[in-house]
Amino acid sequence: MNAANRVIKIVCETRDVAHGCARRVELEGLPPLAVFNVDGEFYVTDDTCTHGDASLCEGDVEDGIVECPFHQGAFDVRTGKVVSAPCSVPLKTYEVTIVNGAVAVEVGD
Amino acid sequence: MNNITIEQTGMKFQCDGGDTILSAGLRSGLGLPHECTVGHCGMCKFELVEGKVEVLWQDAPGLSERDRSKGRMLACQCRPVEDSRIKIRLDEACRLVRPPRKTEAVLSGMTDITHDIREFRFQSDTEASFIAGQFALLKLPGVIGPRAYSMANLANKAGEWHFQVRRVMGGSGSNVLFDRLRLGDRVELDGPYGLAYLRTDAERDVVCMAGGSGLAPMLSIARGMAASGMMPERNLFFFYGARQPWDVCGEDYLKSLPGFGATISYHPSVSFPDEGWNGRTGFVHEALQDVLPGNFADYEYYMAGPPLMIRASVELLTGHHKVPLGQIHFDSFF
Repeated sequence: MNAANRVIKIVCETRDVAHGCARRVELEGLPPLAVFNVDGEFYVTDDTCTHGDASLCEGDVEDGIVECPFHQGAFDVRTGKVVSAPCSVPLKTYEVTIVNGAVAVEVGD
Repeated sequence: MNNITIEQTGMKFQCDGGDTILSAGLRSGLGLPHECTVGHCGMCKFELVEGKVEVLWQDAPGLSERDRSKGRMLACQCRPVEDSRIKIRLDEACRLVRPPRKTEAVLSGMTDITHDIREFRFQSDTEASFIAGQFALLKLPGVIGPRAYSMANLANKAGEWHFQVRRVMGGSGSNVLFDRLRLGDRVELDGPYGLAYLRTDAERDVVCMAGGSGLAPMLSIARGMAASGMMPERNLFFFYGARQPWDVCGEDYLKSLPGFGATISYHPSVSFPDEGWNGRTGFVHEALQDVLPGNFADYEYYMAGPPLMIRASVELLTGHHKVPLGQIHFDSFF
């Protein structure tokens, strides 16, 4: 995929997500997203756990690690890497840019 | 005998001397979360609120450093030494319709399938009760901890349990089966376990993906489809991923099922081919793209095999092809 068919989508305002918190956002044409604020840095991932049909935003977030409320599987929201079983498939992460106080992600057209 | 109380619901169950918390809970009909039952998958994490347990495998890979720092334990690796209260999230989907039972089984037959996979047939006095795709735990002489092996056959009143085991270098379980166990020897068999069983009510064509000794549960799924009357309405696409040509197996068993060549098709692929191999090459998930007609989300998937095969397949199906996770069935042994 080349740069021409990638688009920037606004996900939410930075002020919508407090420090250490997560927010679920649904945008048309994309799976539900999770926006995380880790010490003032914003990260966006898929919101649905890769192990089961659970919303990661309903789990605990601690030092950049989100824990699924179903079976305590955990991911590093900065990289999508699996931190704890039973998850084994990494979480999809999105490239984030901050545009005038909004969290935006780059997605395929 | 110790009592276990579940903190959130107040439910109680009894755990006898030899049983782990997980086995005892499943035996009593509760939906304790689990997949592998042998310390790997990390599904059965719990917190001990009160009481005392003995931990069977301290370094079980199912727990991460993070889990340990939070004081979590695995229900499949803990035996209570006194009445205990635990915090665990029950899940109706994990309740076993046929609760596992312990029985004695005698090794009654063996057949080589490939150079390193052998079928071991056991006979129990009680009927063999399980759903296609499930597994049982074998307690083998001289091996620490039970070993999980999937049944290749179907439930039967005669008490026959067929396992197909791959010899693993340095694997104490498979080496005892291959080298030490003789016809007529007895083992303890505990089962059935597992959630990757055949859903006969799913109105979709079926894809089975097997690699290595993942052949057994996929064969059971195929046999279950034939026996349950799902065919000829449902098609079965059976994929087998082998490392080298001499590892390819399974077709002979499928050929004996009605509908082979019509509703049942077999698609082997080899990742390290030699000059003699003129079939499909590459990994099993890559073969899906060549073979499956139509939309990937229109199939029900069953898989068993090496962790890499399963991870790559799940990523391909859920990521690129948007197959709902609920249509993909496997028990994670990693």
